[in-house]
Amino acid sequence: MSWADLGTIAPVVAAVLVAAAILIVDMILPGRRNAILVTALGGLAVVVAVLLAQAGHTGQAFGGAYSLDDATVFLDFLFVSIAVLTLLFAVDYLESRGLPIAEFAAILVFAVTGAMLIAGSTDLLLLFVALELMVLPGYMLVGFARRDPYSTEGAIKYFLLGSFSSAILLFGLAYVWGITGTTRVDGVAAALAKVVAGGPLSPGLAMGLAFMSAGVAFKMAAVPFHYWTPDAYQGSPTPVTAYLSVGPKVGAFAIALRLFAEALGPLKADWLPIVIVLAAATMTLGNLVAITQDNVKRMLAYSSIAHTGYILVGLAAYAGGQQSGLSAILFYGAAYTFMNMGAFAVVTALQRRPGVSSQIATFAGLGRRDPWLGVLMTIFLLSLTGIPPLAGFWAKAYVILAAVQAGGWLSALAVLAVVNAAAAAFYYLRVVTYMYMRDPVGETEPSSPGVLFRVGLGITCVATLIFGLLPAFVTAATSAANALHV
Amino acid sequence: MPILSLIILTPLVGALLIAALPSKETDLIRRTALAFALLAWVFSLGLLAAFAFGPTGFQFIEASNWIPTFGIQYKVGVDGLSVLMVVLTTTLTWISILASFKPINDRVKGYMISFLVLEVGMIGVFVALDLFLFYIFWEIVLVPMYLIIGIWGGTNRLYATMKFVLYTLVGSLLMLVAILATAFAYQTAHTGSWVGAFDYQALAAWAAGGHFANDLQILAFLALFLAFAIKVPMFPFHTWLPDAHTEAPTAGSVILAGVLLKLGAYGLIRFAVPLFPFAAHTFAWPIIVLSVIAIVYGAIVSIVQPDLKRLVAYSSVSHMGFVTLGIFTFTAASYQGAVLQMINHGLITGGLFLLVGVIYERTHDRSIAKMGGLAAVMPIYATVFGFFILASAGLPGLSGFVGEFLVFVGSFGMAPAIAVASIIVMVLAATYLLWMFQRIAFGELSEFLRGLGSHLTEIDRTELTTLAPLAFLIVVLGLFPSLVLDLLRAPTQVFLAAVGVAVGG
Repeated sequence: MSWADLGTIAPVVAAVLVAAAILIVDMILPGRRNAILVTALGGLAVVVAVLLAQAGHTGQAFGGAYSLDDATVFLDFLFVSIAVLTLLFAVDYLESRGLPIAEFAAILVFAVTGAMLIAGSTDLLLLFVALELMVLPGYMLVGFARRDPYSTEGAIKYFLLGSFSSAILLFGLAYVWGITGTTRVDGVAAALAKVVAGGPLSPGLAMGLAFMSAGVAFKMAAVPFHYWTPDAYQGSPTPVTAYLSVGPKVGAFAIALRLFAEALGPLKADWLPIVIVLAAATMTLGNLVAITQDNVKRMLAYSSIAHTGYILVGLAAYAGGQQSGLSAILFYGAAYTFMNMGAFAVVTALQRRPGVSSQIATFAGLGRRDPWLGVLMTIFLLSLTGIPPLAGFWAKAYVILAAVQAGGWLSALAVLAVVNAAAAAFYYLRVVTYMYMRDPVGETEPSSPGVLFRVGLGITCVATLIFGLLPAFVTAATSAANALHV
Repeated sequence: MPILSLIILTPLVGALLIAALPSKETDLIRRTALAFALLAWVFSLGLLAAFAFGPTGFQFIEASNWIPTFGIQYKVGVDGLSVLMVVLTTTLTWISILASFKPINDRVKGYMISFLVLEVGMIGVFVALDLFLFYIFWEIVLVPMYLIIGIWGGTNRLYATMKFVLYTLVGSLLMLVAILATAFAYQTAHTGSWVGAFDYQALAAWAAGGHFANDLQILAFLALFLAFAIKVPMFPFHTWLPDAHTEAPTAGSVILAGVLLKLGAYGLIRFAVPLFPFAAHTFAWPIIVLSVIAIVYGAIVSIVQPDLKRLVAYSSVSHMGFVTLGIFTFTAASYQGAVLQMINHGLITGGLFLLVGVIYERTHDRSIAKMGGLAAVMPIYATVFGFFILASAGLPGLSGFVGEFLVFVGSFGMAPAIAVASIIVMVLAATYLLWMFQRIAFGELSEFLRGLGSHLTEIDRTELTTLAPLAFLIVVLGLFPSLVLDLLRAPTQVFLAAVGVAVGG
């Protein structure tokens, strides 16, 4: 390790220091909400500053185990945004339920540190360690409301299935290591390229591929590996659900980019059919089940499964020979992060006072009693549906464009994706229907969220509005995708 | 001066301004909305005045790069067809907003914002010269209409609005895939450069050279056709229309019939046929058959409708059948007839929905059976209604006649049987319209209406103001159809040339 290495991984180091600082501040000034918030948000601002300084630079650390490139920076920005937004949305919710903010913030930042480490990992072992660093704090966050049996149940399910899937992934990685003799991503790719040239896949490699696919599919909640999602999402405190629906998911796609696109790139003809089947099953089942949900949190959980399916279409397009599939994944990840967090934030705002459920009936008449929240929720839901000119539309358009470019089976997948998008309109707009076209039942008090919360809502809303309209974001996603060593 | 952007932005600025007004100031909100709609109308008249009738091609083109990564542009421009549609849109919009002053009292702010945003989308569709931009405007139209039907509609509005949205979305999303596939085909043929891949003019020129592969044409045409056929709506994709019309508030029905249905027909003329001429020829006959079925079916079903709005809605299916018939007959006369019919249908059906709205305001009922003898209590209303009924039935001298007549002339050469079938429908149309009029206007004043007593007031000045411009245009276009036909001369040539390529190749 050298000083130069530390410079390269500076954002990760900064993030770890922020998490540590939060714990220390909480020890010195126990229970001081503002001190903790200043530390956390200020610290994350420093991380952003470090990222800005790194933008445009490239480099490697620890002998090539960690790479700094446009993809790393792009994903890191996304993960830091997720941390900031989660924190902004969580404060009111946690306080009103007497849950400690300092622990929450520290655990969250640790989780995000793991995600950031994934973004830069170009070594299979580091990738796995980073993954664990991301998901372990996640288990704690799910069970954060420890007196709530649902929260605990969700945490245990998430923990068991999560550990299981990590083990499966690790098992798959071991096969790759055994066959290629290296854990460096570029080394693996070079070795596999020779293997592929030598004829059909060996049984060991095929098994490894199967295990790795299953493991990553678990993490990104692709059907049929999605069973943990609805319970974990519904049981978690709502701000945690918001985080879970984006953080670990984008993290899992970061793994897919580093592991499947980079390391296993030479085998893409072999994993293409897997991704096509996963994508088709994931978006279709996610949507079909989401249609039947009466609980908005659960509905958004299933809809997030459907979005996994759309993003997988991008991965399939890449495997089908289109580089633009990768930029589509990155753009989708960014657009999805902001619109989905926004939607969950509105649910959180409604649940600010303990005891308010996330049933769809809670939304009845929202447009009348809380016009701003109503408008914001409508924007987020329309964006999730994919109505232009909102971010979600552009994300879908880029994914579909990549699939159409790849042609063949991918064109059929593109058609399936848009049919799904039309079906999704039904359940997203159902919430809008409740908000504007039905009268409120009971509960008519406006939720009046705090200042931080409003800032968070403002950020997500502006992002949802401008992501597609300004060319800068798709340019950034494209250059990030081009930075990947594929 | 970028006049097209000005016309698009005016309602948007109005909507933003209204968003900033307090919701309680309903009168101010109504007047602001009307003012901006009128302003957009004035600009569109200015566009009409400045438009050069002779040359083919697009005028007032504005183009700037938007998403260079994929060659997506902000590009707008108009030809004679677009100009007509823009003026139709701006005219019907201010009329609709004025017609909403009295009936809409709940959440006026949201209503007016929705209406102005709707206008932005509609105008955008008619002027967009970039396929991606076109798609965006196309989808923007959907949301305000969903809200207008769903919030301010009738008792069964939730069902109707969801049906409207889902039908439209299924069609339009498949269209998105087709647009992307077309752009990609263009990009592949141009050494991987995205420049011009979404540009309508570049694509049309490329299509004119016969460069799009036949299988791509077939699939892309089918996707576009589905999207547009749902919007028109053609038989058998029409089932959303009666529900949406019946449940929508009056002004919503006016815009739905007057402009939204035209978006579909416009899409067929502008995009589906010229970009994929081979496929257009391949499917011309099935589409003509579907059009004739729509014409006959719409008319027959109209006869038995017990509800005024449902009757007008089904008559729309019949009338729009003439439009699609005219488009796919591929002759100069039928093309011009189709476009004239689009305008006439907008004016006449818009007027009919306004008139149904007038009676609904007073009775809160639309069933034909309960009416009767209206002519005695509301003579002016009955006269105006009679005028629009005759126009809709295609009385010579009024505009409805000219469009349908031109479609007959154009299609007669191709298939006399079709023309004859269509003429029989004119008799059917006269039957259902006049019979309906007879039942509501003449005879004894019905029990139901008598019970309303003094509530049954004569049509008022505002309501007449909304109808007068429509009636004026119906007479003028009936007597001087050349006003429109002159504008269409150049687009007709372009359209036929685009279609002709496939005949030769």
